[in-house]
Amino acid sequence: MNNIKKSPIDEVGKRSYTAFSRLNGEHPFKSQVPAGRVEYKARQKKGGKVAFFNFDLAKDMGLIPRNHPELLNPDLEKEILETFSIVIINEYDVINKIKFPEEEILPHTFMATRYLQLQHPDKSGRTSGDGRTIWNGTVRHNGVTWDVSSCGTGGTKLSPATNIDKKFYQTGDPSISYGCGLSEVAEGLETLFFSEVLGQNNFKTERVLCIVEFDKGISINVRANANLLRPSHFFGHLKQGNKETLKQVADYYIQRQIDNKEWEQTTFKSDKEKYFYLARQVAKTFSETAAKFEDEYIFCWLDWDGDNILMDGGIIDYGSIRQFGLFHSEYRYDDVQRFSTTILEQRQKARYIVQCFAQIADFLTTGKKKSLSHFRKHPVLKTFDDHFQVSKDQNVLNRIGFKKTHQDHLIKNNTALVAKFRKAFSFFERSKSKRGVYRVADGVTRDAIFSMRDVMRELPQLIATKERVLDPKEFMEVIKSSYAKKSDLKVTEQRKRQMVRFQNSYMGLIAAIEKDFTSTRGQMLLELTMRSSVINKYDRVTGDSITYIVEKVQKLRPKLTAEELYFLARQFKSYQNLDPDDKHVTSGETLSRHKNIMQGLYSIVRECREGI
Amino acid sequence: MKLVFYAGGTEKENLQLDRAFVGLLNKKNPVVAFIPSSSYLSEQEFKAFVRHYSKFKITRFIHFPIDVPFDKTMFNEVMRSDAIHMSGGNTFYFLNSLRKAKLLPQLKSYVQKGGILTGLSAGGIMMTENIEMAGYPEFDRDENIVNITNLSAMNLVDFLFFPHFKNSARYDVAFKKYTRLHEKKVIYACPDGSGIVINGTEMRFIGQCFAYSQGHKFPIN
Repeated sequence: MNNIKKSPIDEVGKRSYTAFSRLNGEHPFKSQVPAGRVEYKARQKKGGKVAFFNFDLAKDMGLIPRNHPELLNPDLEKEILETFSIVIINEYDVINKIKFPEEEILPHTFMATRYLQLQHPDKSGRTSGDGRTIWNGTVRHNGVTWDVSSCGTGGTKLSPATNIDKKFYQTGDPSISYGCGLSEVAEGLETLFFSEVLGQNNFKTERVLCIVEFDKGISINVRANANLLRPSHFFGHLKQGNKETLKQVADYYIQRQIDNKEWEQTTFKSDKEKYFYLARQVAKTFSETAAKFEDEYIFCWLDWDGDNILMDGGIIDYGSIRQFGLFHSEYRYDDVQRFSTTILEQRQKARYIVQCFAQIADFLTTGKKKSLSHFRKHPVLKTFDDHFQVSKDQNVLNRIGFKKTHQDHLIKNNTALVAKFRKAFSFFERSKSKRGVYRVADGVTRDAIFSMRDVMRELPQLIATKERVLDPKEFMEVIKSSYAKKSDLKVTEQRKRQMVRFQNSYMGLIAAIEKDFTSTRGQMLLELTMRSSVINKYDRVTGDSITYIVEKVQKLRPKLTAEELYFLARQFKSYQNLDPDDKHVTSGETLSRHKNIMQGLYSIVRECREGI
Repeated sequence: MKLVFYAGGTEKENLQLDRAFVGLLNKKNPVVAFIPSSSYLSEQEFKAFVRHYSKFKITRFIHFPIDVPFDKTMFNEVMRSDAIHMSGGNTFYFLNSLRKAKLLPQLKSYVQKGGILTGLSAGGIMMTENIEMAGYPEFDRDENIVNITNLSAMNLVDFLFFPHFKNSARYDVAFKKYTRLHEKKVIYACPDGSGIVINGTEMRFIGQCFAYSQGHKFPIN
């Protein structure tokens, strides 16, 4: 262990953690898509310390052995800092001839990738992309290639500030915020807590590998994912009609999906087959994602530039991500110049992204870029629409508590009944307060008034014990949320009818399974009782709760080691596990000084559980 | 009055107590409510509870966390159920939550009306006069994480209950000292797998238990 590297250019054989050596700026995208990136020389940044390291993820990526203790030894800490504590030498530094000690300059360049971003005046991707992020490289382990990128490594010429103000900024320039090229510990923590919970609950997402902290809350936040490409990486070149680069991006992406065994089909007879297969994959992925976002109340601000999402529908950039506790479907984020989309509008944006991929496939196949409207009736959109409906059906059946085989059976054999239940479910889910639209700290909203999680959790228990469905008064008592005022809760004739429809179709679904799987009503209700109590857990994180949790953790952080933060994040993730089939959920061993911290975090989640 | 005190232990160890409990139910298709000491991961506890008691052909269960707001429909159903089980956990936190939810008198009245109340560890202590045994002896105690000072509990029985008891000298010293100082109090100390069943005027010990009274120790069974 004494032979650890002295500098990043040491020979691999002499290092204790050799896999880190691949995160040296070299990345296949650089050579395969030359016009898709900007390269920067980089230097070591001093004064950093490891605030967080994701041992679990590092093991999955093969950066540390599976049996590595979850402790940050001096060698590992040094390796992390030497790999990730870096800052680019940007245009400002070059123009102003700022000198840096030669020994601090790293041997390889690091790339910032180009992608479309709607906040750039150019609106065609010529000037936009990673504004404060560089890509560290790739690591391959257990048949999966991982991309690793770092946010907060200096301002690039692709940042909005540079292009709006038409000047290059020095990294850390206090006169601008987002364009200064730095990021903050709070951003890293927000991504950490949110992504770990969502990732565990079957959302595709970027994950935080580590947070390197500097003075004044500044940090470099390192993210990892099996493929960090976004639709916007394609869209910039599409907008510009740059077929050559667009083809390079598509081929690069397709090869990674094949290498990572993400695609069923791996060989293609023609380019046409290959690129339309890509479009169909995007259609399936984005229909599932859009349905899941809607049903899990995820606000992701999907827009036409395809910037806030990964190609596999994964969540990236948690700054604007929220999870609502109720279906506050009229919430819009106020981004000063404009309001965001709502949760319900995300579906159309996802569909638009798919339409763009039909256009891309056609462009790459024919060499002619037809207008987007030409593809508005393309079969790939039907794939999206059909798959979206199936995903919605699957999601609602999952929320009831049906296991996968029962979900598939009902979707195949009882379509009308599923649709009937979904309609009644939606009636209550979308009911809004009489208060109307009002301003909140970061936008506008209109309150949802019913808690579908509560009713899905309690209904099987109550029907089993009462041996009948609920009467309107009981139903209202169970489903009402804290956002509902007295005037919102009138049991009108329409609501009575919907309550009957809701419960009759619910019982109809159960009866269908009873009949086809020779089960009894009691057994079915018992199974749904157990599964739905986990799926529809009382405490579930929301965007607000994550914000407050990060504030709390920030206050405690001076006294928390990187390992302690890792254990807290892991414990929090375990507490938010909504998988009814996971038999390994336990509170685990908790240090007594952590118990109070965790208790505080649970209280926050509970307090904010119905919010935005 | 029908009560069952579980000291702790595995499902296998508690088989006799479970049989006694099911005997008290004496009803086809009963409803059993589960009150966790804390809602934290209680869904998992509930699942395990349901799986276990399903083996006794019980199929109707209610999960009723009380440290989060609950609705009237659910509460009414719990009060109508045939048995209520209070789980183990931090006794101070549990008592504080029961008190905040104003459930102590409600549960007492439930028992008086013939409902079966069972408690494991902290849940068992809750049925006694106070929860002093959760903070005693010093070397084996729950942390008072909610800093409560009023330790009075349901007071359904005239003894104190000590769960997870290990028959050893240091417990002897502690409990003999306690019962010398509190002459009128009797402690029933029960190792894992043992417990107490009360059915009206009948009180039955299951497994080897120990009584401490006026500075003396008496083995039971």
